[in-house]
Amino acid sequence: MLNGGRTGPAPLTAGAPTAPALRRRLPLVEWAVFGTFAVLPFLLADFLTVFASRLMILALLAISFDLVYGFAGIMSFGQALFFGAAGYSVALLARDLGVSSVLVVMPAALGVGLVLSWLVSSFLLLGRHPPSVTFVALGTLTAAFAAEELARSWYYLGGQNGIPGVPPLTLGHFEFSDLAFYYLVFGLFATVYLLCRALVRSQFGLALAGIRDQEQRLGFFGYRIDTFKTIVFTIAGAIAGLAGGLYAYHEGFVWPSMMGVVLSTQIVLYCLFGGVGTLIGAVLGVIAIESATYALSEQLPTIWPVVLGVILLVVILFRPTGLIGLVVSERERTGDFGRPGSVAPRGASSDAA
Amino acid sequence: MATALNALFEILSFTSIMVLIVLGLGIIASMMGIFNFAHGEFVLLGAYFTWLGHAHGAPVWLAMALAPFAVGLIGFVLERLVIRRFYDRPVMAMLGTYALAVVIRETVRGLIGGLYLNVPAPLVGSLSLGGLEFAQWRLAIIAITLLVILCSWTLLAMTSFGLRVRASLENPALARASGISTKAIYAITFTFGAALAGLAGALVVPIFSLFADLGLRFLIQGFLGVMLGGVGSFVGPILGAGVVGSASAALPWVISPVVADVLVFVAAIGVMKLLPNGILAGRRV
Repeated sequence: MLNGGRTGPAPLTAGAPTAPALRRRLPLVEWAVFGTFAVLPFLLADFLTVFASRLMILALLAISFDLVYGFAGIMSFGQALFFGAAGYSVALLARDLGVSSVLVVMPAALGVGLVLSWLVSSFLLLGRHPPSVTFVALGTLTAAFAAEELARSWYYLGGQNGIPGVPPLTLGHFEFSDLAFYYLVFGLFATVYLLCRALVRSQFGLALAGIRDQEQRLGFFGYRIDTFKTIVFTIAGAIAGLAGGLYAYHEGFVWPSMMGVVLSTQIVLYCLFGGVGTLIGAVLGVIAIESATYALSEQLPTIWPVVLGVILLVVILFRPTGLIGLVVSERERTGDFGRPGSVAPRGASSDAA
Repeated sequence: MATALNALFEILSFTSIMVLIVLGLGIIASMMGIFNFAHGEFVLLGAYFTWLGHAHGAPVWLAMALAPFAVGLIGFVLERLVIRRFYDRPVMAMLGTYALAVVIRETVRGLIGGLYLNVPAPLVGSLSLGGLEFAQWRLAIIAITLLVILCSWTLLAMTSFGLRVRASLENPALARASGISTKAIYAITFTFGAALAGLAGALVVPIFSLFADLGLRFLIQGFLGVMLGGVGSFVGPILGAGVVGSASAALPWVISPVVADVLVFVAAIGVMKLLPNGILAGRRV
């Protein structure tokens, strides 16, 4: 949708050899980001380490949005729903069952996100009538709004105050300290990132990009568009769930806005700011906005949100490729698919055609 | 019996507000094909200007009468600067107007702080009718809404300007070829829609009081109303707003308000799933 008519289908395949030097910037950015996160705890004060783990958790959430919007063109205003629901689930696990083992908690969070997003997407995306973009956007928005309302007034879920006192994460007798938690988050973040990267660079990712850019044409080719969309939405929901589970343990409590509209749209804006459709763009967006907010919101508590809104508006209007568009070329941003080298370009194009 | 009538009255007055909001939202969605996420913030601005006028000593009714014009003016400026770049790009429009909404909402939050500010209604007291008490201000809201619907309908259906608006809605290319400036029509429509939202905000502020997140809940209910009624007609969104508004005002009398809200949302989405073109699909009104 974003790259739509303007770039055309040409960049989808690697095609004729181009200057290889120009094509290596994206991995550089990725190495830089992950390298920095890997050594960050040794460079920063403790409380900044905690902040950095928060960044990575939100980055996971942003990646989940980038997967549905940047790669499949599904406008979801409800990613926080899966995030928050998983957060609540792990908080309940800890409160009512006393379970805080990482081996149970993380799969549970992942599962809650997976099941919930599967339910939502099979309702919104599957069916006789192909859903319009606005219907999906409003459906997800409404779902997040309704879930927040429900959590706000449900006594079992702690109402307005949410569920406080989520204990530290454990593994057997080992309790995750700030530093250990940081590296747990880092490990999950890196794993999820690599898996997503493989996914969007695969033939499945090529089909997704086709759906994003030319949905009707892919339909004529015989692709089951709705099924593809449901699958990617469900995967993204699972990632959002994982992030939500981590976030509950990071903050030590869960509260209704965690699954609300405001967080959902904030995620959308992170991605737009960083640049959609590259994965690392979403991560950069989170880092840029959250760090700026961290640094500036104390000096400019009232002005900062307004400034942020204006910056985002300007980005949406004049720089639809986001931050990452400043660093990498259009061609590299759109990416290539399949195995690099001998088979990929031809194989990719003949599969799609 | 008396409670039932009173309930009916409450439902009717809330539905009126929804209709006012959706009228602007619906006409913008129908004409320009964009869902304006900043519409709820226009409602907020209407409420804010009313409060501002009142705080500076103007009579409440005067502040209320001026608020729609102020919001309309802001709407016009925003259309010229920002919104016109989003026509026929529905997804970018949602994101862009959302960013706009953030700017407006946070500005108002900065101006009023995290407070709930009250504005008195210009009409206080109630009207006794056959042993029943009707709050005068709510009666006035219903009357004003009916008047606005009537005026907009007359404008659209009876005047040559209305003809041009309908022409640009049905077939913009043909309208342009016939010498209608669709650009001007779009600007006027957006201004009008913003002003209607401003009016709604001005009217509700005595009931809901002024706070920064006033717009959001109206926005979602408004969207549901528009989608439910179907984009592209005058009556559709009004009908949709009527259904959503009365359902979400009526159900809390039977079940707990939150469950009612959620139920209305889910039901509305469910109906939209079955009837993607709205409940009036196929019948042009």
